[in-house]
Amino acid sequence: MLKNFIKISWRKIKADKTFSFINIFGLSIGISITLLLALFIMQEHSFDKMYANKERIYRVIFNTTEQHNNEIWATVPAALKPAAEEAIPEVQKSARLWDHDFGKTASIEAENEQFTEPKLYYADPEFFDIFQLKFVYGNSKNQLNRPNTAVLSESTAIKYFGKGNPIGKTISIDNDLKMEITGVYNDFPANSSLDGNIIGSFKSVGFYKEPSWSNASFETYFLLNKNADPATVTGKMQNLIDANVEKEDQWYTLDLQPLEKMHLYSANIKSAYTSKLGSIEEVRNLSLLAFLILLIACINYMNLATARSQKSTKDVGINKTLGASGKMLIARFFTETAFVTLIAIVLALFFTFLSLPVFEKIIGNSLSTSSLISFEFLAAIIGIWLTTTLIAGSFPALHLSRFSPMEVIRSGRDKESFTALLRKGLVVVQFSASVILIIAAVVIYNQLEFMRNKNLGYNPENTMAVSISALTSNAEKETLINQFQNLPEVSSATMAQGYPGISVSGRTLYKNLNSHESISLQTNRARGGVVETLQLTLLAGKDLPKHKQEGDSIVDVLLNKNAVDFLGITPEEAIGKNIDANLGPNAYVVGVVDDFNFSSLRSPIGAYAFNNGFEPLRYMLLRFKSEELPATLEEFKTTFADIAPAVAFDYSFLENNVEQMYAREKRTARAALIFAGLAIFVACLGLFGLAAFMAEQRTKEIGVRKVLGASVSSIARLLSKDFMILVLISLIIAFPLAYWLAGRWLQEFAYRVNIGWPVFVLAGCSAILIALITVSFQAIKAAVSNPINSLRSE
Amino acid sequence: MLKLNHIYKWVNSGGRRVFLLNDLSVKVEEGEFLSVMGPSGSGKSTLLNIIAMLDDFQEGEYYFENEPIHDLKPKKRTEIFNQNIGFIFQAYHLLDDLTVYENIETPLLYKKVKSSERQALVADILDRFNIVGKKDLFPHQLSGGQQQLVGIARALIIKPKLILADEPTGNLNSKQSDEIMQLFKELNGEGVTIIQATHSESNAAYGSRTIHLLDGSVQKS
Repeated sequence: MLKNFIKISWRKIKADKTFSFINIFGLSIGISITLLLALFIMQEHSFDKMYANKERIYRVIFNTTEQHNNEIWATVPAALKPAAEEAIPEVQKSARLWDHDFGKTASIEAENEQFTEPKLYYADPEFFDIFQLKFVYGNSKNQLNRPNTAVLSESTAIKYFGKGNPIGKTISIDNDLKMEITGVYNDFPANSSLDGNIIGSFKSVGFYKEPSWSNASFETYFLLNKNADPATVTGKMQNLIDANVEKEDQWYTLDLQPLEKMHLYSANIKSAYTSKLGSIEEVRNLSLLAFLILLIACINYMNLATARSQKSTKDVGINKTLGASGKMLIARFFTETAFVTLIAIVLALFFTFLSLPVFEKIIGNSLSTSSLISFEFLAAIIGIWLTTTLIAGSFPALHLSRFSPMEVIRSGRDKESFTALLRKGLVVVQFSASVILIIAAVVIYNQLEFMRNKNLGYNPENTMAVSISALTSNAEKETLINQFQNLPEVSSATMAQGYPGISVSGRTLYKNLNSHESISLQTNRARGGVVETLQLTLLAGKDLPKHKQEGDSIVDVLLNKNAVDFLGITPEEAIGKNIDANLGPNAYVVGVVDDFNFSSLRSPIGAYAFNNGFEPLRYMLLRFKSEELPATLEEFKTTFADIAPAVAFDYSFLENNVEQMYAREKRTARAALIFAGLAIFVACLGLFGLAAFMAEQRTKEIGVRKVLGASVSSIARLLSKDFMILVLISLIIAFPLAYWLAGRWLQEFAYRVNIGWPVFVLAGCSAILIALITVSFQAIKAAVSNPINSLRSE
Repeated sequence: MLKLNHIYKWVNSGGRRVFLLNDLSVKVEEGEFLSVMGPSGSGKSTLLNIIAMLDDFQEGEYYFENEPIHDLKPKKRTEIFNQNIGFIFQAYHLLDDLTVYENIETPLLYKKVKSSERQALVADILDRFNIVGKKDLFPHQLSGGQQQLVGIARALIIKPKLILADEPTGNLNSKQSDEIMQLFKELNGEGVTIIQATHSESNAAYGSRTIHLLDGSVQKS
C-alpha cells in the first residue's frame, strides 16, 4: 500500500508542476535555513565537549561586590591555586592561566623573524593533565615545569620553524623573555573555548613568586575528584578568602562555572581570555528564527493543499466508497506530505552545501563541515523531516479524511468556510512573522548606524595605537615618540597604558579622603598630548604634563566629568584637589575632560581617569593626517623598525576597534536582514500559488463579469482586495509584537535609538507592496484573459 | 436479500421539510435484477445511496441479509458495505491519478489482499472485460464507455453480492449503453444481484423487475 501511496504522490507532483514547484522550493528554502541554523546551534552546543574530564572541570569565577557594580570576572587571584590545592581535598588538580601582559598582543621573535601573537598564555604544568591535550612532539608529562619553557600549537610551530621538530629551539617574547620550546601540541579544535597558540610556563612570570589575593588577573581551572560537590568547594574557597583577606578588603566572592557552560553562559562574564564566546541568547533567538521560517514554509504547503482540497475531497469520497478507512486516508495524506518533504530535504541539503560559505560569512563563524556527516546532523535532518511532515501534513490528513463520502462526491467540495478561514489565518501568520522580521532587521540596522555615527566624546578617526610593550627601555620609547612627532604626517602623539575601547586598570574612587562612599574608576596611565591626540574636550584645567621627573611621587590626574560629578563638585573646583583613588597619597587633579564613551555603547559612561602614575606605557597613540594612508603606514613601519628592529610592528586603528565592539550586532543585523528577506520570499511564493489558485477557481465568475462589462482594473482589484485585507490584519498583529521585541533587544544598550514610526511605515509599505506585486500578477493575468475561453470550458 | 420498510428521508430547506423519500418500502430477493425508474428528483439516487449505506435516513427500517442496518454503528455498516456491495457511478468516478490497472486494484489494497492474489484477480477481470491492452492508460485517455467498463470492473473486483448502479449509462451513447447492459445481464446470470437506477425504458427492460419512483415513493405498477 505504501508503494501505491508513493506512486500516487509522485504522479500528483508531476501533474501540477507550478504548485509542486512552489511547494517543494518553498519547503526546501525553509528547511535549508533550518539546517544551516541547526549546524550553527549544534556547533555552539558542542563547545568544550571534547575534553575527557569535561564533567569534572570547572573555571573559578570572581563575583565582585556592589561597589564594583556586581561585575563577574573570569579571572581570579593567583594565590588561589596553591591555597586551594593545600586546603581543599576535592580539588584534584588545578592550573592558572595568564593572558600575556593582561591580554596584549605579544611580539615574538623566532629564527630572526618577527611575528605578532595575540594568543599567548602562561600556564601551570597541571594544565595539560586537566585537559589531556595530545602532543605532536614531546609529551604532556613534565611540560612547563621549568621557567622559560614554552609549548607551541602545531600550526604555530610550523609558522615559526617550518615543518619538523622544534624542540630545543627558542623564541623571544617582546624582546625580553627567552623561551625554550619543549613540545608541540595539536591545535585546539574550532569548538574549544581554550584557544592558545603558545603556552609558556607560569614559572616564567613574576606573579608566580608572589601570588597575591588582590590581583584578580588569572583564569583558574579546577579538576575536581569524582563525585565531588562543587558547592562544597565553593564553601571552602570562601573559607580560604576569610583566612587570607581582611574582612574590609573582601570585595569579592568565588564560585565555580562548569566547563561545559563556559561557552554559552558567559556573556555577562568579563575579562575571559577566549576569543570564542557564544551566547545562549543568540542560540535561542536563532532557534526561534529557524522554527519561524520552517513554519512559514509549512504554511505554504498547508495552504496550497487546502486550496486544492476540492479535488482531494472528491478523491477521498471515491476512495471511501471503494473501502478505504479514515485511518488509511490519513496514512495516505501523511505519506504524500512525507514524500514531498523528502524531496524538499534532498534539495535543501544541496542548497545547504552551496550556501554554507555565505552563511559562515553572515554569522562570522566557521562551521566544521565534519558535523555535516555526524550522527547529530543526521538526527537533525530526520527530526526536521518528521516535524515538517507532521505540521504540513496535519491539516490535509486530519481534515480531509473526515468527510462522509456521499457528501463530497456529490458536491465536490467541503464546507468552504472553515478551510477558507484557516487559509486566511495562515496567511496572516506568515505575513505577521515576515513583518516582524523586517522591523527587527531595520531596528538592529538603525541601532548599528546610530552607534557608528554617535559622537563618542573623542575622535577615533585617523588615530592609531602602536604596541610598544616590547621596547626595552624608556629611552627607546622617548626616541621613538620623538621620531614620530617629527614626521609631517603625524599631527600629535602620546603614550598610554591603553586607549578607549580596551580595558585599562580598575580602581576605586572615594568621595573624599576619609570616606567609604566609592565608585569604580577606570584609570589609564598616559602622558601629555592625550587630550590633543584623542581630541577630548577639556572642561577645566589642562592636559597631563609632557614630562615627569624620575621618582616624583606626585601623580597628576585628568578626570572625566562623571568622576567629578560623583565627587559633587564643578570641574573648576576639582582642579588641584587631592583625590583618593588608590593612586598613592599625592594624586592631584590637573584637568577635567567631558565624558566620552571609553567602553561600548552597551554600558553607560562611568568614572575615568588619565594619570601619570605607575602602570607601564604599552601603546603609542598617533593622530595622523588622513591622506595617503598606505604611504603613511609604510613610513611608520620604517621609523619603528629603525628604533626597534627586533620588535614586530603591531598596530591597530582606533576606528576599527570601535567597529569591532559591535561585530556581534553587525552579525545579528546581517542575519536578521537576510532571513527576513528569505522569509518574505517564501511567504510570497505561497501567496503567489494561492492567488493563482483563487484566480483559477473564479475563472467563470471573471468571465461572466467581463461579459457584463467589467474593466481589467476592476477585476484585478476584486481579486487583490481579499489578500490586501489579510496583509493589513497581519500588520496590525505584527506592529505591537515587533515593537515589544525590538524594545527588549534595545534594552541591552545604554545608548539606543528610538523606534520611531518610520520603521513601521517602511515595513508596512514594503509588505503591502510585495504582496500586491505577487497577487496582482495573477489577478491581471486572469483579468486580461478572453472571457469566451473561460466560459466555454465550463 | 434486503428489505426497506417505511423509509422517510428529508432535508430542511428554508424552514420547510423537503421529503426525498416518503414512506418507501422495497424488498429485493437474491439474484434479482431490479430497475428503478422515475423522473429527476424522484429519489432514485437517494434510494441507492441508502441501500449502499452511504447515506442516512430519518425514519424506517433497513434489513440487509437480516442485519438491522438502522441499528448498526457506522463502522459496522461500512464493513458490511465493503464486504458485499459494489457501487457504479454515472460519472464513473475513476481516480484520475491512477491507471486502469491501479484503479481496479485499489479496493483490493484497502481490503489488504496479498500482492500475488491481487495480481491474479486484476488480471482475470482485465481479461474478462477485454481491456488488458488498456491497463496502463489513465482515465482521461479512455472513452466514456471504456471508463465505465473500468468502473464496473473496479466494482466487481471484490466479488460483491450486490451491485448498485446509479444511471450507469447516463453519459454513454446507445451502443455503449447496450454493451454495458448486456454485461449486467451476464453478471446477473452468474448470480449477482443488481439494482440499477435509470431513465431509459430500454435499459430497464434488461432487468427482471422494474419499480417506478415519484416524489420519493414507489408508484403502484
